[in-house]
Amino acid sequence: MAPPPQFQRSSSPSPSQPSGKSEISDLKLQLRQLAGSRAPGADDAKRELFKKVISHMTVGVDVSSLFSEMVMCSATSDIVLKKMCYLYVGNYAKGNPDLALLTINFLQRDCRDEDPMIRGLALRSLCSLRVTNLVEYLVGPLGSGLKDPNAYVRTVAAMGVLKLYHISASACVDADFPSMLKRLMLNDPDSQVVANCLSSLQEIWSAEANTSEEAAREREALLSKPLVYHLLNRIKEFNEWAQCLILDLISNYIPSDNDEIFDIMNLLEDRLQHANGAVVLGTIKVFLHLTLSMADVHQQVYERIKAPLLTLMSSGSPEQSYAVLSHLHLLVMRAPVLFSSDYKHFYCQYSEPSYVKKLKLEMLTAIANESNTFEIVTELCEYAANVDVSIAREAIRAVGKIALQQFDVNAIVDRLLQFLEMEKDYVTAETLVLVKDLLRKYPQWSHDCIAVVGNISSKNVQEPKAKSALIWMLGEYSQDMPEAPYILENLVDNWDDEHSSEVRLHLLTAVMKCFFKRPPETQNALGAALAAGLADFRQDVHDRALFYYRLLQYDESTAERVVNPPKQAVSVFADTQSSELKDRIFDEFNSLSVIYQKPSYMFTGKEHRGLTDISEELGNLSVEAHPAAEALPAQIYEANDVDLLLSTSEKEEVRGPVNNSSAYRAPDYDSTTAALVSSQVPLEADLSIPGLPAYNPQVSSAIDDLLGLGLSVAPTPAPPPLALNPKAALDPGSFQRKWSQLAISSSQEFCIEPRAVVALATPQTLLRHMQGHHIQCIASGGQPPSFKFFFYAQRAGQPPSFFLVECLVNSSSARAQVKIKADDGAAAGDFSALFQAALSKFGE
Amino acid sequence: MLQCIFIISNSGEVILEKQLQGHRADRSICNWFWEYAMAQGGELSQLLPVIASPTHYLFQIFREGIIFLACTQVEMPPLMGTEFLCRVADIISDYLGGLNEDLIKDNFVIVYELLDEMVDNGYPLITEPNILREMISPPNIVSKMLSVVTGRSSNVSTTLPVATQSCAPWRKTDIKNSGNEVYVNLVEEIDAIVRSDGNLVKCEIYGEIQVDSNLSGYPDLTLSFANPTILNDVRFHPCIRFRPWELYQLLSFVPPNGQFKLMSYRVKKLKSIPIYVKPQLISSSGSCRMTVLVGTRNDPGKPIDSITIEFHLPSCVTSADFTSNHGTVNILADKRCSWSIGRIPKDKAPSLTGNLVLESGLSSLHVCPVLQAKFKIMGVALSGLQIDRLDVKNMPTQPYKGFRALTRAGEYEVRS
Repeated sequence: MAPPPQFQRSSSPSPSQPSGKSEISDLKLQLRQLAGSRAPGADDAKRELFKKVISHMTVGVDVSSLFSEMVMCSATSDIVLKKMCYLYVGNYAKGNPDLALLTINFLQRDCRDEDPMIRGLALRSLCSLRVTNLVEYLVGPLGSGLKDPNAYVRTVAAMGVLKLYHISASACVDADFPSMLKRLMLNDPDSQVVANCLSSLQEIWSAEANTSEEAAREREALLSKPLVYHLLNRIKEFNEWAQCLILDLISNYIPSDNDEIFDIMNLLEDRLQHANGAVVLGTIKVFLHLTLSMADVHQQVYERIKAPLLTLMSSGSPEQSYAVLSHLHLLVMRAPVLFSSDYKHFYCQYSEPSYVKKLKLEMLTAIANESNTFEIVTELCEYAANVDVSIAREAIRAVGKIALQQFDVNAIVDRLLQFLEMEKDYVTAETLVLVKDLLRKYPQWSHDCIAVVGNISSKNVQEPKAKSALIWMLGEYSQDMPEAPYILENLVDNWDDEHSSEVRLHLLTAVMKCFFKRPPETQNALGAALAAGLADFRQDVHDRALFYYRLLQYDESTAERVVNPPKQAVSVFADTQSSELKDRIFDEFNSLSVIYQKPSYMFTGKEHRGLTDISEELGNLSVEAHPAAEALPAQIYEANDVDLLLSTSEKEEVRGPVNNSSAYRAPDYDSTTAALVSSQVPLEADLSIPGLPAYNPQVSSAIDDLLGLGLSVAPTPAPPPLALNPKAALDPGSFQRKWSQLAISSSQEFCIEPRAVVALATPQTLLRHMQGHHIQCIASGGQPPSFKFFFYAQRAGQPPSFFLVECLVNSSSARAQVKIKADDGAAAGDFSALFQAALSKFGE
Repeated sequence: MLQCIFIISNSGEVILEKQLQGHRADRSICNWFWEYAMAQGGELSQLLPVIASPTHYLFQIFREGIIFLACTQVEMPPLMGTEFLCRVADIISDYLGGLNEDLIKDNFVIVYELLDEMVDNGYPLITEPNILREMISPPNIVSKMLSVVTGRSSNVSTTLPVATQSCAPWRKTDIKNSGNEVYVNLVEEIDAIVRSDGNLVKCEIYGEIQVDSNLSGYPDLTLSFANPTILNDVRFHPCIRFRPWELYQLLSFVPPNGQFKLMSYRVKKLKSIPIYVKPQLISSSGSCRMTVLVGTRNDPGKPIDSITIEFHLPSCVTSADFTSNHGTVNILADKRCSWSIGRIPKDKAPSLTGNLVLESGLSSLHVCPVLQAKFKIMGVALSGLQIDRLDVKNMPTQPYKGFRALTRAGEYEVRS
């Protein structure tokens, strides 16, 4: 909609633009002429010139070459001129420390001006110069500024101390400014001075606390009872922003007894009525924190804060509503009943931005219970016909989520089935996915659903997720749908038109299921599907086809037990956000964490650092030796094939309802696979499947290794289970050598569990955990959210072969990227599975 | 706290940059922001208000084609950032008499001056418009005239506000006004959702009490309501004393000088709406007949003015033509229809009929437009809130007191 950004316009013909160097030198000349002029109109002329210079500066043109001329012109009594000059000087002083010295003189003079406004402005500018070697000129004016009779100047000076601290911490501490601030904070009659002292001291003491014990004590003293009460009693005199600061301070204060808690709450109660949303949220945070240990009062607090929060949400701008809604969402997770009668507040208005609507839909989902489900679902169903397609989709998903919460399922299923009759492609797609999830949880509804689903033509469903869902239902309920085998056959015939591997995988499984239920009708389709699957260039599709093929070869009844095991209804779908994470976020109420729905350690901690720093740091990650733990019990980890298979299938179960066709609860899975492993299956196919391509033993042995099946065709014996040497040793030098010599034999990316993300708060625990699995760490580094680890392991027995691993973990996206290099490339697959299994147990 | 504030035009150009801390935020963050915005579809009003960039956390608000962007690298209360930016936008818009790129560029010195006083080192400082006005006077015609005539132009008052030293930070002690009057204005917005079956799902009123006070000295005002119990929740200007409200539902306060918002309130679960809007859609073989009827439902006792009905046609409608028996209908470029009715005539009920042609292949319309109604009613507060009396103390002579009320449609939507 808009043209590309023009941050540095260079040659555009706007009148305010310099046509190049000539205009700047022109400006320079004019400034020079005016510099000494005392003519009556000089100030106006100067003002026009200054405006031009600053407008150039604003659009990003470098006008630093005018520095000395600007300084020369700054001898004026006109306050606007002064302000413009201060602005200019503040912007360029850092780049011209020598020239900045020129400005010191007139700034210092202005600091002694009789007009307090000029004193204040000059002092502020002086502190904003940010030139380290000018610090000595700063101390004097700051000291007198703190003692100035005018409150405005003291306000500026209190903040100036903090600025000085950031330029030179030692100069600030040596001049004893912190203790002056402290005195001022306790005694100054002006509230803004007090507030600025407080914010300066908070920052200074927190920064100093790492190095000095005294500073740590002082920081504690900011939370002492007398000071907190001093501020609390005067809180109404402070302006709204200062009130936010004070409230933030108090939220960390620990009262000595319950009376104190009630005193504070009584004092602050009217803050809940404040017009400024930040003050209201700050107060709520204090209330929640104070009453954490008193369950009944805590509940009353919830009741008390409800109305202000709802008002805040519905009265402000959409941006404010969004921030408030994020907090409401957090509260609702804690106490869903709290808002269950106020559900109408979360109805979406047509003109709201979609980020607000999405959060409101989440709220509606969260507060649905027996009493309001009917109303909420009725409302959500209206959104399904919304002009905004993304909201329509979200609304349908919300209906599904509510259905899974077990309230009023009967009515909801009816409505979902009505959606299918709307014949809107995206509505159908979303609904199919939901119906599938519902059937997994409530198999008793299959009869009604199947009748409707059977009427949907697969041609009208294009989205992979929806198509997979439809295919899953066709396979699962093929005995109840007369058309199922023929629809599936039709889909198999059009295998090449289907580009999503997810759909192809589901198609394979569905055909298998259907085959066991209605063999004569499906036999052709199964043959064609397996043939197409084996010829597929996608590895996982190929693997699954091969796996089914061999299962069938081995024993049909075993295959049936694997594909169609007796299933239990899913009782709880794995939630993506653990309650532990929610608790952590709750501690950070009224902070940015709430908006991202992540604890702050997942995304902060990179303070005052740029993007380049992070990447550099990762690049320079030095290899340093971690002592290999020798004291660990030497338990031999049997990388049993069965174990591996089970752990992967469990993982899929946890990952949620989407990719579920292979994640069965198979009570006899163990024995089945064990039997498979121990037996040698003759190659001759006793199943007559037409069109199956010739079977290539070379390809399959590698696949066998990957699958860990050990179902070997050629006379070569099954590979021995991979065991790792518990006392592997490798020095950093040889690690680096090996790393550069070997090629990558396996590279993978996968999700890590939320609990692992939590445990990653201290990366050391991961190192210890992996040592438990005989995988040693040789180097690690990184800052949240990106970590990098180098691991190594050694195979037990002869010949000793090493595995080297580079593992990148991103805790904010919860993904891990693993590159494995191995002396013995053939064993890399086994090791990769072992590594993943070990990592997936992290945090348990 | 906040590190930097940028003002960006809706074409991505940085109009103004104000660094707040010693540690400067590089302008490249704006490039990142703009690329992010474009990647999100380029709809600036739909951008998240808080965005995490790889280096900074960004707060942004979008007002009349201008983006106000602030960045920080530390954890801070989110509403402090958002709320502050809203104030900045409000105050700049108030000073310049509107918001657009040219206005800001022409007056960037004033904007810099304002930001200088509103925030120091990233901590919000003064955002009270009355106090800012005393420090930096707005660019108005009078001051421009003066500067032309006298040749001396400074929009900075030479005196500092002493308000910060009084115990009422919103008012300085020695205000002298030539007028001696106070106006109280009740402004209510009615939000309603009417479902397609005609049921009123939600009806709520959000109201504000705006006061314009031109009183000298240190006046002490008390405002009482005839029926304060109908208010569900209230939010106060800092000048209101909490205790009298809690005990007697009285608003007792020392007003700031000039215009300000004394209080806002919410009244929920209203049962009656002033007008009805009845849309009807009948689809048949590739086209759809739409009729809308509008009329008075509960007469508020005063005329309902400037009634407008607006709706977006669904994207699957290729063309439409409308006729109405009253008022004018316009179809704008983005398929937005606007039917301005004005006042409802006495003799007939306004109706709109039209024929929508659907995309080929569609037999019936499944996506239903939402109709938004706009109107205003002068002289009535629909919530029924009534001001009982206003007492002014601490004044040598009783001032003139004026009361007004107004109700207008807020989010008043009817689904079809």
